[in-house]
Amino acid sequence: MIRKLLIVDDSPIARKITRKCLPDGRDFDIREAGNGQEGVDLYGQERPDCTFLDLTMPVMDGFEALARIMQQDPDALVIVCTADVQEKVLQRVANLGAFRVIKKPPSKENITRALELAEARQQGGADA
Amino acid sequence: MSEPGYLFTEEEADILQEVMNIAFGKASAELAEVIDITVILSVPEIRLFRGEKLHCYLIDQMRFAERLSLVEQGFIGRFRGSALLGFPQGAEECILRLMGEEELGEDVAEGPSSLGCEALLEVGNILIGACIGKLSELLKDYVTYTPPRLLVEDYHALVDGGLLARADDVGITMKTMFSFEEAESVTGYLFLLTDESSLSWLKQALNDYLDSFG
Repeated sequence: MIRKLLIVDDSPIARKITRKCLPDGRDFDIREAGNGQEGVDLYGQERPDCTFLDLTMPVMDGFEALARIMQQDPDALVIVCTADVQEKVLQRVANLGAFRVIKKPPSKENITRALELAEARQQGGADA
Repeated sequence: MSEPGYLFTEEEADILQEVMNIAFGKASAELAEVIDITVILSVPEIRLFRGEKLHCYLIDQMRFAERLSLVEQGFIGRFRGSALLGFPQGAEECILRLMGEEELGEDVAEGPSSLGCEALLEVGNILIGACIGKLSELLKDYVTYTPPRLLVEDYHALVDGGLLARADDVGITMKTMFSFEEAESVTGYLFLLTDESSLSWLKQALNDYLDSFG
């Protein structure tokens, strides 16, 4: 069951929107980081069940943060949530080990679906 | 956010920044479909200015190149204003090469060739159109555009000629810096300038956008 979430985005509004799009009636334990470096550090401290990660951020971008998180924890479930929807970018994050990509702006439906798939992966489901 | 902060709350400025981020992301993806490139995006920067300070800010921002190619395009809706896409002169050569044009055939010291001008206008049209289009879609507006035009100026002409902003304008500037992974020397800036008449609508639209997430 996914309970502890990490949201990494430099925009406080984007973090707020992600929280608003989480499925209702669930008790999530949410941590937030404002750039990739903070995200990597917080990931190491908290080991969240699932991470939402933006790409275009100051200090350390999401590509670097994703690589470092996957290095720390090859089983990390990282959902990239980005406005940068170029095909090559999507391919690059897939190669780095992102579990899913959600195009901004997110919706309750696609965040809920991504979390369902993450839970299936967590439980060893083959189709996730 | 700089002065006049009373025009927008901090939250409204944050929403505008995020909406701009989404809009320019969409614009980059559209450009990448036309030219086989990857656009490297920066975090958008939202600033608010009034009068002479707007002019000074733009002049300062355009200092990145002695000679500039500027694509300017107006947009008209409840959100109205103009978009300025600035490239250092010579960028059109790189863009043409990325488009597969090897033989430019004209002296670039004389300014962009006619083919170069077309390339800049096309890149400008795609980036500006997709960016403004996405912005207006997110904010539930509908805009029409004036045809893009290319201004090729040296820096001093911009300073002296009042091409960027009039001293009595109020401006929201939304700046996104970008470069192309395949030609990192091509760095450009996109500024969206709007005026006081759009402000009250924009404030409401930004709050409605956030409320739409429940």
